[in-house]
Amino acid sequence: MEEDYKLAKWLNNELSENELDELKKDADYELLENIKNQSTLLKTKSFNEEKMLAKILAAKKESKVVSLNATNWIFRVAASLALVAGLLFTFYQFNTETIIASEKMAILLPDQSEVILNKNASIEYNSLFWNFNRKLELNGEAYFKVQKGEKFQVKTSNGTVSVLGTQFNVKTEKNIFEVVCYEGKVKVETKNNTNILTKGMAIALENNKIKESTTLLTEPKWNNTNFVVEFSNTSFKDIIEKIEKTYDVTIQTNFETHQSFTGKIPTDNLNVALQIVASTYHLQIQTKNSTEYELIVP
Amino acid sequence: MSATCNENTFSRIFKEHVSALRNFLYYKFGDYEQAEDKTQEAFIKLWQNCKDVPIEKAKSFLYTVAKNSSLNEIAHQKIVLEYQKTSNPISRTNENPEFILEQEQFHEKLMNAINNINETQRVAFLMNRIDGKKYHEIADELGISVKAVEKRIHLALIEIKKEIKNFR
Repeated sequence: MEEDYKLAKWLNNELSENELDELKKDADYELLENIKNQSTLLKTKSFNEEKMLAKILAAKKESKVVSLNATNWIFRVAASLALVAGLLFTFYQFNTETIIASEKMAILLPDQSEVILNKNASIEYNSLFWNFNRKLELNGEAYFKVQKGEKFQVKTSNGTVSVLGTQFNVKTEKNIFEVVCYEGKVKVETKNNTNILTKGMAIALENNKIKESTTLLTEPKWNNTNFVVEFSNTSFKDIIEKIEKTYDVTIQTNFETHQSFTGKIPTDNLNVALQIVASTYHLQIQTKNSTEYELIVP
Repeated sequence: MSATCNENTFSRIFKEHVSALRNFLYYKFGDYEQAEDKTQEAFIKLWQNCKDVPIEKAKSFLYTVAKNSSLNEIAHQKIVLEYQKTSNPISRTNENPEFILEQEQFHEKLMNAINNINETQRVAFLMNRIDGKKYHEIADELGISVKAVEKRIHLALIEIKKEIKNFR
């Protein structure tokens, strides 16, 4: 029999009305309420975060120290070259741009090429050297619209994609690497393979095997600017999960049904999304806070 | 190069997690200095290993390092917590002295109880009450199931209740 930790559920306002009434009959209920309310007010001492951060950043691995044996001029030349290289490196570092998208966002690169990052994707590139060497690092999924010009490279942990003026989509995560070419030509280099893709061609790397396919789309589905997701005969549970994931909220509900949902739900308007589901299933929306909702049977 | 090695990115990760991580360690040891030291150590490890830890793994890395660093530590000290100032100054002046005294007495009983319960229960309970962490977040950070978190919180409440009733 599965244990039901009632007090933990009570603390989180998860008890049903019946269960709550039962608990209220307990002689210790007032004490529990006091514990709940007073514990919410507790706090810890604050501390100097800025100071800690400074100490942390300063604690980088120590660079190797070359001891100079005074008379040897080769050492001195090497030291000054190292100094110059170090300065250039620092200079390079200062112009490194890192962009992490918390939600879909579009970025214009110095040469007017466009990168549209999907949620949680990130890119890193050097803005100063961009026009000499168009190379960036990608994590996650992004759609590229590249201006004609010299080489344009997208480096990922799974492989590198090089292009001339073109439009393509790259998706890279731990074990996934997918490239779709929507226009022009791209070269995809992975550990064991090199593939050239032209318009309409796509490849996916799974377990080190390359799978080729084609697409009739002219741009990736996720870049759809209508901000709407279409469902067809989807279960109530799945709809709720999709809304939770899309808007990063939690939706509690005791409602169960076999009635499936067919229709469109917006991905840029939580209130409307909830209204649609609520009216479809004749439920009431209760807002607990900006990230917690409940759908109840009225 | 991993984005974690970028100073701005790393600073962002730091600001996001430093407070909760320091608190987590405080709940374990009851010693602010140690909690701060271990927090700093964990972030330094992340900074030094930045190229091997992608952003999405940073939080899990920090908590793992923090948990492991507590193996050879001094015995648990008493935790001291204060009440936040109420945001409405007017309501405070309207409270009668008797009420304030009652509140202070309850606070003493509550702190005593929190210090006397089992460490795992205390940590989970305070992560929820003070840091506002949801059960699934606590599960994630402690590396246990949500059910296990519920059990700890449930037992914490039972024990705290018992301790307060038995106080003095």
